Amino acid sequence: MTFAERMLHIDRRIIFLVIGVCTLLPLLYPVGLAIKVSPEVRGVHDYIESLPEGSVFLLSMDFDPASKPELQPQAVALLRHAFKKNLRVIGMTLWVTGTGLADLVVSQAAQEMGKVNGKDYVFLGWSPGVGSLIITMGQDLYKAFPSDYNNQPTRELAVLKGIQTLRDVNYVVSLAAGTAGIESWYVYGKDKYKFELGGGCTGVIAPGLYPLLRSGQINGLIGGLRGAAEYETLIGQKGRAVAGMDAQSATHVAIIMLVILCNVFYLLIRTSRGQSGQPRG
Amino acid sequence: MIFLRRQLPLLITFVAGVVFAAQYYVPHPTSELMLTEVTKWLQIISGFALVLGVTSLFQIHAVKIRRKEPGWAYSLILYSGILGTIAAGFSYSFTAGQWVNGKETINGIVTAFGWIYSDMMVPLQGTMFAILAFFIASAAYRSFRARSREAALLLIAAIIVMMGRVPLGEMLLPVSGDVTQWILNVLNAAVRRAILIGISLGAVALSLKIIFGMERAYLGGGKD
Amino acid sequence: MVTAGCRMLRPLAVLVCLCLFPLTAPEAGAQQALAPPQNLRVIDTPSDSGEGLTVLWARAGYDAPEVRYQILLGDGAEKKMVAEFPADSHYVRDARWPWWTRVDRPDAHQFNLKSGKGLELKNGTPYAVAVAVVKGAERVEAAPVQAVPAPNWVNWNQMNNLLLVLLFGAVVFGSIRAAKRREIFLRRIPGLDAVDEAIGRATELGKPILYLTGAGDMSEPSTIAAAVILGRVAKRVAAYETDLLVPHRDPIVMAVCQEITKQSYLEAGKPDVFREDSNFFITTDQFSYTAAVDGIMLRRKPAANFFMGSYFAEALLLTETGASTGAIQIAGTDSDHQLPFFVTTCDYTLIGEELYAASAYLSREPIQLGTLRGQDFGKAFILVVLALGTLLATVGVLFATDLPMIVLDLFKDLK
Repeated sequence: MTFAERMLHIDRRIIFLVIGVCTLLPLLYPVGLAIKVSPEVRGVHDYIESLPEGSVFLLSMDFDPASKPELQPQAVALLRHAFKKNLRVIGMTLWVTGTGLADLVVSQAAQEMGKVNGKDYVFLGWSPGVGSLIITMGQDLYKAFPSDYNNQPTRELAVLKGIQTLRDVNYVVSLAAGTAGIESWYVYGKDKYKFELGGGCTGVIAPGLYPLLRSGQINGLIGGLRGAAEYETLIGQKGRAVAGMDAQSATHVAIIMLVILCNVFYLLIRTSRGQSGQPRG
Repeated sequence: MIFLRRQLPLLITFVAGVVFAAQYYVPHPTSELMLTEVTKWLQIISGFALVLGVTSLFQIHAVKIRRKEPGWAYSLILYSGILGTIAAGFSYSFTAGQWVNGKETINGIVTAFGWIYSDMMVPLQGTMFAILAFFIASAAYRSFRARSREAALLLIAAIIVMMGRVPLGEMLLPVSGDVTQWILNVLNAAVRRAILIGISLGAVALSLKIIFGMERAYLGGGKD
Repeated sequence: MVTAGCRMLRPLAVLVCLCLFPLTAPEAGAQQALAPPQNLRVIDTPSDSGEGLTVLWARAGYDAPEVRYQILLGDGAEKKMVAEFPADSHYVRDARWPWWTRVDRPDAHQFNLKSGKGLELKNGTPYAVAVAVVKGAERVEAAPVQAVPAPNWVNWNQMNNLLLVLLFGAVVFGSIRAAKRREIFLRRIPGLDAVDEAIGRATELGKPILYLTGAGDMSEPSTIAAAVILGRVAKRVAAYETDLLVPHRDPIVMAVCQEITKQSYLEAGKPDVFREDSNFFITTDQFSYTAAVDGIMLRRKPAANFFMGSYFAEALLLTETGASTGAIQIAGTDSDHQLPFFVTTCDYTLIGEELYAASAYLSREPIQLGTLRGQDFGKAFILVVLALGTLLATVGVLFATDLPMIVLDLFKDLK
């Protein structure tokens, strides 16, 4: 076996090791590379920035712990921005396995910004159904959530004063790791109840949501950890996403180098087989 | 018997299919109420179906444990995991002074159920998702080869997008950011729309066949 | 000759004068005295779920950015202003209504009142609506008009959608009828030719076959397609008496696939070889299911893996683990975000609707083939509409005309 052939069939554990090192080292020794903001992320940021104080912002954290590394930084950045703008924040989730995580995220962000539960924000929790839940919220919010996650009656909460249905919500952002998520909020929510909708998602499903963005069905899209880092840059509060970008940069470059190397070895083998008259693989 | 197994389900499918297809074009609140009601029925049926699934799970692993088949210890671990989590969810929290009732925290105090969630489920799920990063690298190394002109074009586009999505890449190749945006907003969006149109047409055709009884595989059998 | 020349020149001179000196100068409009908005009508908003009124009034000569219209709701002391906007906005042509549901001329004004955000309109209750025009310190108001909001039973705005669905349905059923009468050509789908090869390989090696139906439930077309293909695969597996493993994420899908597999073994004449536990439920949780299936792959080392249905992040975990065991892998999914992972790690991948076509390809049933042909007609129609629509939209912009909208509105999704 030639060197090129041996390299092409290298033990994948070596590749795992390379990726592991490229992820770990930048996290331990951050560099702090500059982040360019994309129009998609700016769309969400600028809309929240344009909302007057006291506007109602609903953040639906539709993800489970598996997607926490990508979507939690997005949630934290959005909540910080909303609390800074003194918006009335409603948190909820469509994923039952993400309820505890979502509650933690909202509570921690609120505590950091000095906001009071029931007065400045509420976490409604999870309720069964996706389409039917959104439709019910569109007809009567209190029917969908008679009490919040801490069993407080929602009708008595100061933060929900004057809000009857989804039509009274100024902006909804769904942070989605898959189905149910942004498409559900559009089909059952925005399409019927005409509120403005923005989205955040994991990097892998972001390309699939560009048609919604281009057609105006969502006014902005925060894609993956990169999107979260861009949002943190926009609000001027760098967090885990910006810290993770160094690791992501190193990993991407490592994968590119590996792919280039494998193609070099592949071409070498092809060339040598062509020269020796052997059939090409 | 044939009527109950074949004709009745087909009739229900037809009526329900036509009614809910028509529902989309009826804006009256009665129509929405009907949709909400039926969606609730679906949730209830899903609940019963979960019982079916869990029963099947218990049955299979009970057989494995009884016969001491290879890997029966894992079945025992599965049993203890399920029963332990259910018990923690229904337990009484002495620290918080009330029943847990499936809550992860009560007045800021983490319950046993919450501990299982945040210290077992969250790290385990995160680990599984994190494996993807390693697998992507090994899959890319094995498969991203310029075997043909199309594959080479795909490779170049992939490299540009990978560079353009990270700050280091944009620093090394400044144009990659703008080219990535163009690829995502124009090429990618166009192709996704095309795939979506094809899939949607297939879904509509399949739905029509199911409503009109031409497709009966979902009834659990072959031809009549 | 001279006289004829002068006669020809006269209309030309008039035309030149009109271009240079239009009959109504732009400034003249703004200087017109304010008159109350004319032809004010208030109607129940058509094709809606109720709690909405539509206000219509004629375009005025004084419509300009510095002049403002006010919409007033209520009578006497209860009258309040619910909206205010520049007078050169809110025309019928700006509202997102198709031409067949428009209630006035395109250049008339239209404003929709809808319950919500500080405004409450109850069905069955009469409301008085008036329109006032304000210019500087001057304000003139039209006499109020009463209307009653009510819910409607038909959304006429979506009739184009219904017609297109019915048309597509007719094409599909027509194609099925045609397929029953004559042979329909179907292009080769490489992934499906490999199914037999995969099953044969598994039989030779004495290893089982792993078949996954994806993350979806029975309401998803991809899961139904996966179940149908399972039937075909199970029939061939039964003939070879190879082991079949079908772990499930959804209990209902499991129950359906169990019946399908049983039926397939019966049709293959091998009911005694059928095992009840070939279809088994693992868990609904994404990564728990993935970990369990990965474990099955590493322990049982199936020779062939089939990934049919819809998948999410677990796709690469499953296929990469399967690839590491040396199994031949065939995937079919409509989850476009996972396609890159399947394409790079599987030997054959059915992309998008090829999954739906797979059932037809394996069975050669006229119904399935006819459906495919109908879908192809649908795609051809969409291609033609795309080209024609682009051309018409361009013509509309170039010549500043709304005539192409007559055709373009037919393909819009309007609510």
